[in-house]
Amino acid sequence: MIEVNDLTKVFRKPIRGNGLSGMVKTLFSRKYDEVRAVDGISFSVPDGEIVGYIGANGAGKSTTIKMMCGILTPTSGTVLIDGVEPYRKRRQVAQHIGVVFGQKTQLWWDIPLIESFKVLKEIYQVSDADYRERMDFLGEVLDITRFLSQPVRTLSLGERMRADLAASMLHNPRILFLDEPTIGMDVLVKEKIRLAIRALNKTYGTSVVLTTHDMTDIENLCSRIILLEKGSILYDGPLKSLKTRFGNIKTLTLTVPADIHAETAPVLSPEVAVSEEDGRLLLRFDADKIALEQVVQYAFRDLRAMDMKIAEISIGDVVKTILEQQEAEHAEKV
Amino acid sequence: MRYVHLYFTCIKRSMISRLEYKKDTIVALFSFFFSNLCSLAAIYFILQAIPALSGYSLPEVGFFYGFSMLPISLDHLFSDEFWLVAYRRVKDGDMDMHFLRPVPVMFQVFAETFQPEGFGELILGVALITVCALNLTVNVTFGAIVVLCVGAVFGAIIITSLKVAMSALAFIFKRSGPLLQVIYNFSSYAKYPLAIYPGLIRALLIFVLPFGLFISLPVDTLLYGKYNPWLLSLAIIGCAAVFFALATWIWTICERRYESTGS
Repeated sequence: MIEVNDLTKVFRKPIRGNGLSGMVKTLFSRKYDEVRAVDGISFSVPDGEIVGYIGANGAGKSTTIKMMCGILTPTSGTVLIDGVEPYRKRRQVAQHIGVVFGQKTQLWWDIPLIESFKVLKEIYQVSDADYRERMDFLGEVLDITRFLSQPVRTLSLGERMRADLAASMLHNPRILFLDEPTIGMDVLVKEKIRLAIRALNKTYGTSVVLTTHDMTDIENLCSRIILLEKGSILYDGPLKSLKTRFGNIKTLTLTVPADIHAETAPVLSPEVAVSEEDGRLLLRFDADKIALEQVVQYAFRDLRAMDMKIAEISIGDVVKTILEQQEAEHAEKV
Repeated sequence: MRYVHLYFTCIKRSMISRLEYKKDTIVALFSFFFSNLCSLAAIYFILQAIPALSGYSLPEVGFFYGFSMLPISLDHLFSDEFWLVAYRRVKDGDMDMHFLRPVPVMFQVFAETFQPEGFGELILGVALITVCALNLTVNVTFGAIVVLCVGAVFGAIIITSLKVAMSALAFIFKRSGPLLQVIYNFSSYAKYPLAIYPGLIRALLIFVLPFGLFISLPVDTLLYGKYNPWLLSLAIIGCAAVFFALATWIWTICERRYESTGS
């Protein structure tokens, strides 16, 4: 159980000039800029839930994760991991959480992977029986057995990430923080990692907090998402409701004869937005306001469509729209 | 007990890292012997050039020099990783892994590297003081032997404590290597008899950065019976305890200021 209450992290940065002379001036200046990386957020994650923690670059995701796992001390507010504040009782909490930062490995660079695991076994005081059981499980779901004797340095990015995931699960943590675990992976590795996360969640009931820019990760794994922007929570709730936040948006992609164009096409209703892309017509509409059937008929009869694809709005589009709206509002204020 | 076991597990890991690259290991072994040979030669040339220093004879100066190598090499064996913390690791946000593990961060830094090079310096130091002692006519007392051992071991703890405290400042300044370097360099003052320095520096080397306390004073006790070996031992042990406690405290305070890097 994670409880986050009014959590805030402010970084104080000296205001810097540009170039060498500016940097020299900075040395004698006492002006500071305050960056509110995380600004009074609250949420809680019950046991066994997989939460997608998403937002643009620099929205404060990693900062929150770092506070939740005890690396950073909050400026104000609290984080409780099973009732304990991680930055105060770091060691106690560390025993029960696993963390993977996609950008940094936590394995020793130049020793065989299995040696890293042996050290971690001692660090987390994993019993021999548990260790064997865990290694069997992880070896299977993450497919790491093949390269256990290779130094981490020689592993590919995908292999290294799987190794890092395995290392973070070795002590059977109750909560797993994954900061962009699929960054830079190919589709197959991504799929493997998702399967492993799901298997772990199912087998051990591990809660997972996942940050990612890959919406497929979110749709595959998370029942709930938290959307962060400029340090504040924009949305916290089920994936489904976010999807229908802008209505039941559907997009029809049509292959039409060459003489049909978006500007000149007959209009069905102002509810249907018509646009053109790569010689195809795109019809975007809210299926709750105008019946799908009606639009399909219109497509075949008035637009003489030869082929058609119906797509629901993707979660990525929704997030993109929300973030764009936010940016526009922000620009207006300034 | 758990930490002793864990320490050896980690040290084993550090040695495996060392041996991972075959050619590197061979080169390292070679350069290890070569660099020790060089420092031995350097000491010989220095001592030859200064046959008498402020009334100290060649074997006496050699004894000072050799003895100073003992605490320095002991410190070198166990705490080399702190240099990296001070110069690079905090700045690069490379300490995250330690903060995620259920073991004190300071312990993990100690356990990260075991520097076998230290053995070479240790052996060299012991050899040098043995050779010099054979060329001296001193009345070796039991107390003097004790104070030398205390000076070497607890002196190492004092050096390590200074290192810990200075590298901890990197958590606040991001990089504290140069500061650590300045403090550490004071140890080279203590390679010579304290008597050659003006009063201010002498006081500094005894009371502030106590390299003189655990290097020069014990040697003075052996060679000239200047101080009471038991009281001096007690002073060194007390000083080491205070320094280590202070260093741990400073580290704990500074550790909370760690900010990592963006990712």
